[in-house]
Amino acid sequence: MLKILLTVLFILAAASDLHAGKRIGVIMTGDIPYYGVIHKTFVDELNRRFAGAEKIEIILQRPFPNPISWSNAARKLIAFDVDLIVTYGAPATEAVIYEKSRIPLVYAGLYDPEEAAVTARNATGCGFKVPLSSILRYFKRLKTVNSLGIVFSSVEEDSVRQYETMQLLTAQQNIKTEKIDIRSRADMDKLKRLTSDAIFITGSSLVHLWLDDIMPILLQEKIPAAGIFPDVKDSGMLMTLHQPSHLQGEMAAEMAWRILLGTKPSDISTYTFRDTELVFNKIEARNLGINFPIQLLIEATKVIE
Amino acid sequence: MNGVSRSGCRFLRCFITFLLLCFPAAAVNPVFAFEQPEQLLIGIEPEHNIFDQMERYRFLADYLSDQLGVKVKLTIMSRYGEVIKRFRTLRLDGAFLTSYTATMGIKELHLEPVANPVNLIGESTSQGYIFVRKDSGIRGMLDMKGGSIVFVDPATMEGYLYPLAFLQQHGVKDINEFFNRYYFAGSHASAVFAVLDGRADIGAAKSTVYSQLIKNDPSIGQELEIIAQSPKAPEVTLCIKSEIPHDLRERLASVLLNMNKTPDGKKILQQFRAQGFVRASKEDFAIIEKMAQEVLGSLTVHGK
Repeated sequence: MLKILLTVLFILAAASDLHAGKRIGVIMTGDIPYYGVIHKTFVDELNRRFAGAEKIEIILQRPFPNPISWSNAARKLIAFDVDLIVTYGAPATEAVIYEKSRIPLVYAGLYDPEEAAVTARNATGCGFKVPLSSILRYFKRLKTVNSLGIVFSSVEEDSVRQYETMQLLTAQQNIKTEKIDIRSRADMDKLKRLTSDAIFITGSSLVHLWLDDIMPILLQEKIPAAGIFPDVKDSGMLMTLHQPSHLQGEMAAEMAWRILLGTKPSDISTYTFRDTELVFNKIEARNLGINFPIQLLIEATKVIE
Repeated sequence: MNGVSRSGCRFLRCFITFLLLCFPAAAVNPVFAFEQPEQLLIGIEPEHNIFDQMERYRFLADYLSDQLGVKVKLTIMSRYGEVIKRFRTLRLDGAFLTSYTATMGIKELHLEPVANPVNLIGESTSQGYIFVRKDSGIRGMLDMKGGSIVFVDPATMEGYLYPLAFLQQHGVKDINEFFNRYYFAGSHASAVFAVLDGRADIGAAKSTVYSQLIKNDPSIGQELEIIAQSPKAPEVTLCIKSEIPHDLRERLASVLLNMNKTPDGKKILQQFRAQGFVRASKEDFAIIEKMAQEVLGSLTVHGK
């Protein structure tokens, strides 16, 4: 009788241990600092919320920015049967949704989630929106802009949307556009033939992965560039108008925490961050022979000197 | 009788001639010669582009100098709201002041409002606007809670006093609690750009600057939405120290009010970017004093 009781107690204890802890699968494309900040804040906030009450295991996937790698990363996490999948950026999110898994999904770093139309029932998350018109406006206050080059990647849905939005804005102001679609390293040669007065770099993970190679080409051609991701590595952006991404990491952690405690993703509203920071780089301006007027500098959240 | 009269007249003529020889200026301008100061130092509150602003006012100052026979010099006051301090430290004789600082100056320094410029669209007044991005989802007070707001400067009616009054009327007792963040942009244009960029969710600025920015770049109007507007108040008023002789103040007012009637005056107005000037009165500022008392309990003198 005692033996049976001890066996039952052992099984119960072992069973509870099996269910202690949660496994979260994360897909963070490439080595993009913007997503890196989201992920670090996500992990810190999640640990703070659980505060040792639950063991959290994070399985991080860092696929190269291409459809096959995103798809493989999604399938791996589904095969691991994680409790929750977290994705940064539109392509990784799309890859998980495409697999039609029942595993709940929290996304972050998605550009304009309302427009992205993420329709999966088991998905919620947050994203950001930056007024691209402001970038155009600041360029025009710096120099005459008759044509604008737009660097994007057609394999990334959010990058394409940004390209389309900017194209619409330039058309309204009779500004010509040059389309620079980066899908492989060879596409960077297109930058050497640019005739644009300025360049807008979309929030493409592929483009940002090769930013250190792209920016010297633009500098050589004396073409100023602006983007919507912060230029953390000082690659040579003249200006950035970006959303501070740590806030998305905090919110994604809160959403993940609620889902792991039993809330359905469909009961958690999605959120779009719209707060921005404007950074001007005076060093790059000097290299490009551009002077920032004082009326422009006073608008900046930060000036790199 | 005739002899006496003739000799008296001769004496009188000699005396007048003597006076004219001794005091030639008195013959030309007998009323002002003794009281007229050598120069008038006029302060200007800084706008978004102070270089452009100084250029505009310089034309006006030169014209006034010519017309009054008194050198009119200009100086930029370092920032909004230091009107009381600056008047004393810079020994100003007058200043072109925005509505809130003019109200403070009239109350604290007993300044006399002289004239208001009429802008190119025929207005001498401006309004405070509270605005958001159209795609912000902010439609009312509930949506504003927890957001960020950008003011212009604590010493502006349109960019601070009015939005405070609006918030108070809608039940906001503490902006620190109601908003996640608030800050001062330093100029009306900067407040507009901050909201356009998403650096603030809600902004306040004056109608004239807001409209001018849209005129220069119509895309701004497509992106912003005005959700509240204040009553109209004088946009800029030339206020003069009451110690300046009344006659000089009146001559100054007369020159400004009649500028649009002479070819030279019209040319200067064109360079100053105004249609003309209209007479200012202390009553114009009652609405601002009332607003300040309702919001702040009294007319707070910022940077006093």
